[in-house]
Amino acid sequence: MAPEVRHRRALGQILLLSAGFLVLVAISTASVLLVNKAREDSAWVVHTIEVENQVNTLLLDVRRAESNARGYLLTRDDQFLTAHDEAVAAIRPDLDKLASLVTDNPMQKGHLAKLRAEIETRLSQFEREKALAAGGDDAAATALVRSAASGNTNANIGAVADLMRAEEAQLFAQRSANADHSQSLATLVTITGSGLVVLLACLSVVLVRRSTRARDEAEARLRENYLNLEATVDERTADLREANDEIQRFAYIVSHDLRSPLVNIMGFTSELEELRNDIFRRIAMLARTASASPPPAEGTDPELEGADQQLSEDFSEALGFIKSSIAKMDRLITAILNLTREGRREFVPTRMDTRELIEAVVTTLAHQAAEANATIRIEPLPTIVSDRLALEQIFSNLIDNAIKYLKPGVPGDIAIRARTKLGFAIFEIADNGRGIDPKDHQRIFDLFRRAGAQDRPGQGIGLAHVRALVRRLGGTMSVASELGQGSTFTITLPINWNASNRNSDR
Amino acid sequence: MTMPVTIIMIEDDEGHARLIERNIRRSGVNNEIVPFTNGTDAVRYLFGDDSSGVVQKGRALLILLDLNLPDMTGIEILRMVKENKFLKSAPVVILTTTDDSQEIKRCYELGCNVYITKPVNYESFANAIRQLGLFFSVIQVPPTL
Repeated sequence: MAPEVRHRRALGQILLLSAGFLVLVAISTASVLLVNKAREDSAWVVHTIEVENQVNTLLLDVRRAESNARGYLLTRDDQFLTAHDEAVAAIRPDLDKLASLVTDNPMQKGHLAKLRAEIETRLSQFEREKALAAGGDDAAATALVRSAASGNTNANIGAVADLMRAEEAQLFAQRSANADHSQSLATLVTITGSGLVVLLACLSVVLVRRSTRARDEAEARLRENYLNLEATVDERTADLREANDEIQRFAYIVSHDLRSPLVNIMGFTSELEELRNDIFRRIAMLARTASASPPPAEGTDPELEGADQQLSEDFSEALGFIKSSIAKMDRLITAILNLTREGRREFVPTRMDTRELIEAVVTTLAHQAAEANATIRIEPLPTIVSDRLALEQIFSNLIDNAIKYLKPGVPGDIAIRARTKLGFAIFEIADNGRGIDPKDHQRIFDLFRRAGAQDRPGQGIGLAHVRALVRRLGGTMSVASELGQGSTFTITLPINWNASNRNSDR
Repeated sequence: MTMPVTIIMIEDDEGHARLIERNIRRSGVNNEIVPFTNGTDAVRYLFGDDSSGVVQKGRALLILLDLNLPDMTGIEILRMVKENKFLKSAPVVILTTTDDSQEIKRCYELGCNVYITKPVNYESFANAIRQLGLFFSVIQVPPTL
């Protein structure tokens, strides 16, 4: 999968989750708002019913006062009078309560004002009827009742109350519709929101499953790649091993076959040297005969003179260069042969006490050490499993070097110490010798390369050889040194070297 | 009266052959030296056209053998000589540039009598050949059966 697609997918998931969250928040908010609205609407509906109720109560009280007044006038029973008084007393509070209920509606307030005026008129009529009745003027009171009944007062009260009730009925219808609307809206919003959330959740699940599948696929591919990589590494290792073997064989054959012609060159150069002696002896004889000098005594070579002498010396010089060059070439070829031979040798892992081994090496070098006025200190060393011969060669080369390259006039101090760490033994061979310039630290490990003053015999093979051995033993080596400050060679070797990890390679 | 010993020299490098011959002569050995520069010719001479080796019956031979030959290895010739009933008693001197210990061991196992590595240093080389010559002058070689 391309990275940008993966990126887009991850972004899509985040967006989806955010969208889901936002929808939830919106739904919650909307629900709360709508529920509040519905409650408000219901409150208004209840309010309308209350107003209607109050109007009815008021009318009831007015009627009660009316009928009780009539009953009293007819029967003169005080019970009617008491009931009438109670009803009259309830009318004003009823009115006030209605007034407080309809403060929100200016139209109803208008109606209420009218109603109040009519009721006040009727109430004053009741007062007068009562006063007339108390005074025994029944006829006047009855006439007043009649006039109120035939007049507009009662009818007006009824009309206004009807108006108010109609108004409230209309409001009731409207508010009920509102409440219904709010409620269905709330339901709709909740259902839609829930649906949306479910949809988003489904989408999320699909996306998550898809990305899980993608991840599984990637993992499988990774595993496959890993296996392929291992196969590739094995293949390359085999190639390298083959190449290395070929180089070894090549080096061996080349160096070996170079020797043959070298024997001839050396041999016939020596023969030439013999011939040179013969030739110059004869030249000297001839020169002597020509100059009529007495022949030399038997057994001694005649002396050469002047130009002949010069010729003889040039001849010898040329032969000398040829011979020294051949000798050098022979040493180099021998070195290559030995190195390739070492590279072909099978290593045998053996458990050994490295202190014992190094003590033995130091014993063989004791003579050189004494000559160089050097002391060699061996600190406690570990027991490791490795190839004995290889270790002997490694330490013998390094200690020999340490003795060889001491500072003139300073008693040598060579320390061999070791420590173990994480399955590796780290050996240090430290001297107080002449040291190595840091720029030469790499060079000294190269074949036929040397560093510093060339005042000691050597081919530049030792360290190259040592490093090759250390590598074959699965280790590493390095040097720390400054000119004039001594050198410390560090060798890290596995404590438990297993032949199979290297020898099986070959 | 011992039979005159014939020295068979199988050496592909003519320079080496010349140097060897010279130094053998210098040590005072005057026996006949039959030189070969390749294995095929040498084998034909040693074993005859019928490859049985019967041609050498009754002769006293000393074989000087180089291991690196253009057409076959000296070890092959050594093996053939030591397996042949007429030739197996002839002393074989391996004279070669190879100083590989495995090779040396193999040659002795196959029955070579002397193994000498050619030194590049000519003095050593000449010295080695002269001593070999001295060795030739005293060695008793049986005639082939």
